[in-house]
Amino acid sequence: MSQVSLTIDNKEVSVKPGTTILEAARSVGIDIPTLCHHRALVPVGACRVCVVEVEGQRTLQASCVFPVTAGMNVQTESPRVVQARKFILDMLFSERNHFCPFCETSGDCELQNLGYRYGLDHWVYQTYTKAFPVDASRQYFLMDHNRCVLCGRCIRACSEIAANHTLGLRQRGAKSMINADTNTPFGGSTCISCGTCLQVCPTGAIFDSRSSFMGREAQSEVVKSTCSQCSVGCGIELITRGGNLLRVRGDWEGEVNKGAICKHGRFEPLNEGRNRLLNPMIRRKGKLQPVSWSEALQAVAKRLEATEAKAVGVLTSSNATNEALFLLEKLFCKELKVNNVGLLNEAAPKLAGQRRGMLNDLVQSDLILVVGADPAKDQPVSSFFVKRAVDKGARLIVVDSEQNGLVPFAFMNVEMKNIQKAVEIAERAENPFVLYGAGMTEDAAKVLNKLQKKAAFAAIEPGVNTRAAVAFGFNNGFKPASSKTLYVLMGEADGSGEKALQSIDKKGFVVVQASYASPLTERADVVLPTAIWSERTGSLTNTEGRVLKANRAVDPEGDAKPDWEILSLLAGKLGKSLPTSFDDLSARASNELKRKEI
Amino acid sequence: MKIYRSHLLICGGTGCHASGSLIVKKALVEELDKRGLAEEIKIVETGCNGFCAQGPIMVVYPEGIVYMQIKADDVPELVEEHLVKGRPLARLFYMEPTTEEKIPTMQEIPFFAHQELRVLRNRGLIDPENIEEYIARDGYAGLAKALTELSADDIVKEVLASGLRGRGGAGFPTGLKWQFAARSMGDVKYVLCNADEGDPGAFMDRSVLEADPHAVIEGMVIAAKAIGSTQGYIYCRAEYPLAIHRMNIALSQARDLGLIGSNILETGLNFDIEIYQGAGAFVCGEETALMTSIEGKRGMPRPRPPFPAVSGLWGKPSILNNVETLANIGQIILRGGDWYASVGTERSKGTKVFALTGDVNNVGLVEVPMGTTLGTIVYDIGGGIPGGKRFKAAQLGGPSGGMIPVQHLNAPIDYEKVAELGAIMGSGGMIVLNEDKCAVDMARFFMDFCQDESCGKCVPCREGTKRMLEILTNICNGKGQEGDIELLENMAIVIKDASLCGLGQTAPNPVLSTIRYFRSEYEAHIRDKRCTAVVCSALFKSPCQHTCPVGMDVPAYVALIRAGRLEDAYKIMMRTNPFPSVCGRVCDHKCQSKCRRGMLDEPVAIKFLKRFISDNAPRPKIDPVPVTRKEKIGVVGAGPAGLTAAKDLAMRGYKVNVFEELPTPGGMLAWGIPSYRLPREILNREIDDIRQLGVDIRCGVRVGRDIPFDQFLKDYDYIYLAPGAHKSQRMGVDGENLQSVYGGVEFLREFNLNEAAWLQGEKKIGSRVAVVGGGNSAIDAARTAVRLGADVTILYRRLRADMPAAEEEIVAAEHEGIKIEYLVAPTKLIGEGGKVTGITCERMTLGDFDASGRRRPVPVKGSEFTLSVDAVIAAIGQTPDLSFVSEGSGVKVNRWSCFDLDGLSKSKTLRDKVYAGGDAVTGPDTVIGAIQAGHQAAEDIDRAIRTTNGEPLYVAPPSEDIVIPFEIDEETEERPQAAMPELDARERRKSFIEVELGYSREEAFKEACRCLRCDAEI
Repeated sequence: MSQVSLTIDNKEVSVKPGTTILEAARSVGIDIPTLCHHRALVPVGACRVCVVEVEGQRTLQASCVFPVTAGMNVQTESPRVVQARKFILDMLFSERNHFCPFCETSGDCELQNLGYRYGLDHWVYQTYTKAFPVDASRQYFLMDHNRCVLCGRCIRACSEIAANHTLGLRQRGAKSMINADTNTPFGGSTCISCGTCLQVCPTGAIFDSRSSFMGREAQSEVVKSTCSQCSVGCGIELITRGGNLLRVRGDWEGEVNKGAICKHGRFEPLNEGRNRLLNPMIRRKGKLQPVSWSEALQAVAKRLEATEAKAVGVLTSSNATNEALFLLEKLFCKELKVNNVGLLNEAAPKLAGQRRGMLNDLVQSDLILVVGADPAKDQPVSSFFVKRAVDKGARLIVVDSEQNGLVPFAFMNVEMKNIQKAVEIAERAENPFVLYGAGMTEDAAKVLNKLQKKAAFAAIEPGVNTRAAVAFGFNNGFKPASSKTLYVLMGEADGSGEKALQSIDKKGFVVVQASYASPLTERADVVLPTAIWSERTGSLTNTEGRVLKANRAVDPEGDAKPDWEILSLLAGKLGKSLPTSFDDLSARASNELKRKEI
Repeated sequence: MKIYRSHLLICGGTGCHASGSLIVKKALVEELDKRGLAEEIKIVETGCNGFCAQGPIMVVYPEGIVYMQIKADDVPELVEEHLVKGRPLARLFYMEPTTEEKIPTMQEIPFFAHQELRVLRNRGLIDPENIEEYIARDGYAGLAKALTELSADDIVKEVLASGLRGRGGAGFPTGLKWQFAARSMGDVKYVLCNADEGDPGAFMDRSVLEADPHAVIEGMVIAAKAIGSTQGYIYCRAEYPLAIHRMNIALSQARDLGLIGSNILETGLNFDIEIYQGAGAFVCGEETALMTSIEGKRGMPRPRPPFPAVSGLWGKPSILNNVETLANIGQIILRGGDWYASVGTERSKGTKVFALTGDVNNVGLVEVPMGTTLGTIVYDIGGGIPGGKRFKAAQLGGPSGGMIPVQHLNAPIDYEKVAELGAIMGSGGMIVLNEDKCAVDMARFFMDFCQDESCGKCVPCREGTKRMLEILTNICNGKGQEGDIELLENMAIVIKDASLCGLGQTAPNPVLSTIRYFRSEYEAHIRDKRCTAVVCSALFKSPCQHTCPVGMDVPAYVALIRAGRLEDAYKIMMRTNPFPSVCGRVCDHKCQSKCRRGMLDEPVAIKFLKRFISDNAPRPKIDPVPVTRKEKIGVVGAGPAGLTAAKDLAMRGYKVNVFEELPTPGGMLAWGIPSYRLPREILNREIDDIRQLGVDIRCGVRVGRDIPFDQFLKDYDYIYLAPGAHKSQRMGVDGENLQSVYGGVEFLREFNLNEAAWLQGEKKIGSRVAVVGGGNSAIDAARTAVRLGADVTILYRRLRADMPAAEEEIVAAEHEGIKIEYLVAPTKLIGEGGKVTGITCERMTLGDFDASGRRRPVPVKGSEFTLSVDAVIAAIGQTPDLSFVSEGSGVKVNRWSCFDLDGLSKSKTLRDKVYAGGDAVTGPDTVIGAIQAGHQAAEDIDRAIRTTNGEPLYVAPPSEDIVIPFEIDEETEERPQAAMPELDARERRKSFIEVELGYSREEAFKEACRCLRCDAEI
């Protein structure tokens, strides 16, 4: 494609046609300041901070939206531009309460940075006179209208990224206020608390209640990782200070999510209420007693050696890492010849021969069938893609109960038994997409076969790393009754082992590798404390089959260890030679997963 | 077709509906039925006729007689007289406000006669709900031509040739816009009609939609062919229900006839139109916001580029044209672009519709060729300003437009000129403002509108307009600060430069435009806390007091009259005015012009009440004030300015000497104003009071002659120069040096100096006297001459309404038998034996406007005539005689022969310690103006002395506490001013006895009761 040449601040620039002045300037290191502009949002040219002087134009132009043309001559810091920018900043600072010292975001604020950059050291105009309310009706984050600059980023994030359309403006002009659902308190609105608005807010208007005043960006460290809360596999950034995890945000570079994350990924894990297991424990005299790792693993090894393979059962939750699942399979199935293994949660049924779709393809689809899954509840980021497609005109048919969280966005909602109706409509679409989950019945799967040639299919797995667990063979029809020794890799899973617990022999020996106390750990004979998502490095395989890396951001609490490390140590105790370095393990696990063509 | 003998076209526009046309129509139907005329006479409800202020309007054809302001009660008489007996009912004809002439037909009414109807060609003529009537007037012929004879390209070319520019306001060439959209690639394109008329006071588009909806449809279909569109939208605000109703009818009729829909006129063109109702946000008139609104989103503008021609509604190429633009298209296609371009100016072709509102007699819709002057629109079509008020400015372009002030009445209104003058054409709202409108308040009002209507998307508009409003509000509330004007200007520049859409880019226009033309009003608000138009109520207690140059507490003394406490009333007057008896007789009473009672019936007779107090109250005793200060003050001139300053300074303990050239003090009061208006003993009483304080008045001493000016400067520490303006201007015609040719003031002075000689006939004026001029001096001279037995004619070069003399003086002169010839100016004086015998004059006609807003008199060729006269008195103006000031003194005299003042000072000359005031600074002004100058000078001199000495500033001793009663009538009845009893006119001609006799106690009480007590805070 031909290039367009122009001059910015007397510098020759050559860019692709259609590039904005802002992009062109940034490509050669000219930093035009912005405020309402955000990399993940469609530019709107609202705040006017990025105005530049374009030769031949009557007025100043917003560089974030103005496309370049050949021979254009742009000045980004001329006196006229600087005067306008300072004026705009003066206006913004005097609009509401922008007394920085009292603000949570002071030091991390885009508005404040601009104030410094343009030397604003006093108020020129009469400042705000009226205090605005603070909306604290949501659990995890607050909206302080006093700090709001009405840049509209939150509204656009809500519409363009989460596609939830909760946020909007009421009133007009200087009386404009961000509001939810035509002025409902946020907590009572259709807000899904994904916090995307929080993540894009340039000032302290929307802020996280848990981590506020706990540290500025400059004082903290950022670790990139993958969210371990569902099977979408969102890229995240973990912000820590002095070994404490402050908050989580979406990684704009995230392969799948491109910055978006949800309530489950952003807030809930930081507000965990369950009790952590901090020490290895062994049941002695009917009570679990803390012991050393060596002692605990020794006891497990001893028991395993004493049990014949067919009386050993292995259960895993789907939030184990690829590495742990790899070791679990190698140690128990290959080495110890155990074949009674199982998965604690359900998995989506396998459909053979279908064209596989990636989640991002949803947005290009013109008709989406959601079958037996409730992504709005369980995998919210994937529901964002569905809703974005709906915004672009795609029709959504939800084949599920009417409680399904996507029903309000759907053009049609049918019960599973009437899937035929939905399929008939989908057959007439140009580019249908089927997103299915564990709730899909076999009959429904058969009907869906009609779409085999036309539609793209994507399973949305209910568990985090189900794809890998299934690939390693853990979805195998586990029979609890036959185990005398049960090894449960539970990790952070919650309560999903209870069913297994009920049917196990009362005399059976139970080893639980878990992060939190639960009825299962209460029943266990050995408890092996496991590091949680933020404390361990490991790989996860998302529902599309992408292998994604999760990184450790903080040290494990107490004596807890990463899931794979525990298994590796156990293998040592059993005298089995399995890989012990993480990198080695990780590479081999990935290779094997690839081989299994998941 | 059924033939009727008569058609009654009754206006059914929103304006006439509001004034009751539907009731009149119903009454007509009933009346015609009752008389069995329903088969002979047809009633047609038309769209807006345009003359909205005169509604309900009905035109009777075939005669073409137009009736206005008809009420249902008039209907029986109207039918009986006109339709049965064939006698037009003159009572309901239009009456021209200036001439009070009754005019029966539309073409003779000036309001219509000056218009050129193109867009509005069908107004008041057709039933907008009947497509056949439109077709009968060549409707849809343009469409047929465009669809069958022209290619898309030809259409664009024709529109380009017409020079038509966007009538929504921006003036972008319509043809060019179409060309861009036509060249844009895309299978779906839209034609949009902008009917979101949001300017306050604008109703052009509504009227067109109501009166001629098919014209808009026709334009849209032609546009559709030109750009290749299949769907159109009319975006109309929901506040226009009648327009929407009629448009819906029109659309369905057009659809029925195959003029819209599929395969139009079997040419294969498919195009349909839908109406989209807007919720009435001003910003939705902006094209991108309008499109966003049609898309179902919050109406907020989008950045351009991409332009709508490339990516508009739903991202598809679109054109958006205003109602008026589209209504022109059919005729442009039918008659050709050249026909359209045959009127207008070089770059603005065709006609423009204006919604003329505000302080103008004829409120209504006006269509004139581009380039018609503002004066023509306001005066010839608009009938001028009601209530004898003066034109101040016209706000053009709505709240984001600007003002065109009085000095630009000759401006030809087209896109370029309007922009040059700092306004915008906008959609054509023209709001006329009279002198009672405050420029700052208007700017505040428009800014309030814009900040309220700002969508809030971009910061400069959202916050900038609000901050500007705050500053303007502060100024209006007396909290303005030095530097505010400059701050406003700077803000305005940035807001215009950095805002996203047209709303923000034009919102500061009213501020910039008012600062440009009325900066002094801003300064008066900020520096003096004065609102000259007396609008900003935070700055004053009552309009009368605020208007009075010396701030006399009018409500207080009027209330005291009502309470019968005349002595207190007198004391209140004396606090601010040393000459209440004088002012009670000869003041020009600006206070009365702003009296709020005047909005109800007539202003309170403040001047007469003042006189009543001074005539009837016991005069307070005056004690001399001891001299307590060492500085000596010299005053030149014992007129009202000099004496007021002398009094004030004496009160502050200074020794003051006043020098007067003439034999007695009083200045113009004694030497200019005749004694029948101001008896000498009344004047002398007040001057004596000032003497009594200790002021030394030396008459017959001319500084500069009897005392050398430089010596005078040495003799006194501080000097006040108030010599007045006692020299008449010369007419500049041949023969002015003949005998018996007097200047106005010279004649009056001569008469007063030698009164006995004149009265006893030793000096004679002759039997025929011509007085030239229209000011108070001219009237004074004329009435004096009458009293000397002359037959007097006043020659004035303009119209009576333009005369600077007080109206009551003109009336009095007429009563005394003085003839006034208007539109006459002298060209030469003819003499015999050195003495004047005749005055040759020529007739004048009125031309364009001068800077004061009056039409300039232009001589009519060959209209000369000569009057035989014995004397000519030229009273066309006075100048000061400042020859007494020595050249090296440093006191500067400017080219108007007045003193130059130092910077922002209101009294200090360019020489230190020398102050000046009164007519010698301002040129001929009023008594009260001179008194105010005297106060100012005393204050400034005293302040300068104390500041130099390092003393604290003067604080007036506490004045006696006078409780002002608050008594007011529960119900206010309409009642005019109490008339001033006067001497009989026949008596008056024989003597110099005072003409006005003064109110009786009863009359004064009743008049005082008319005061509405605007000063009261409730």
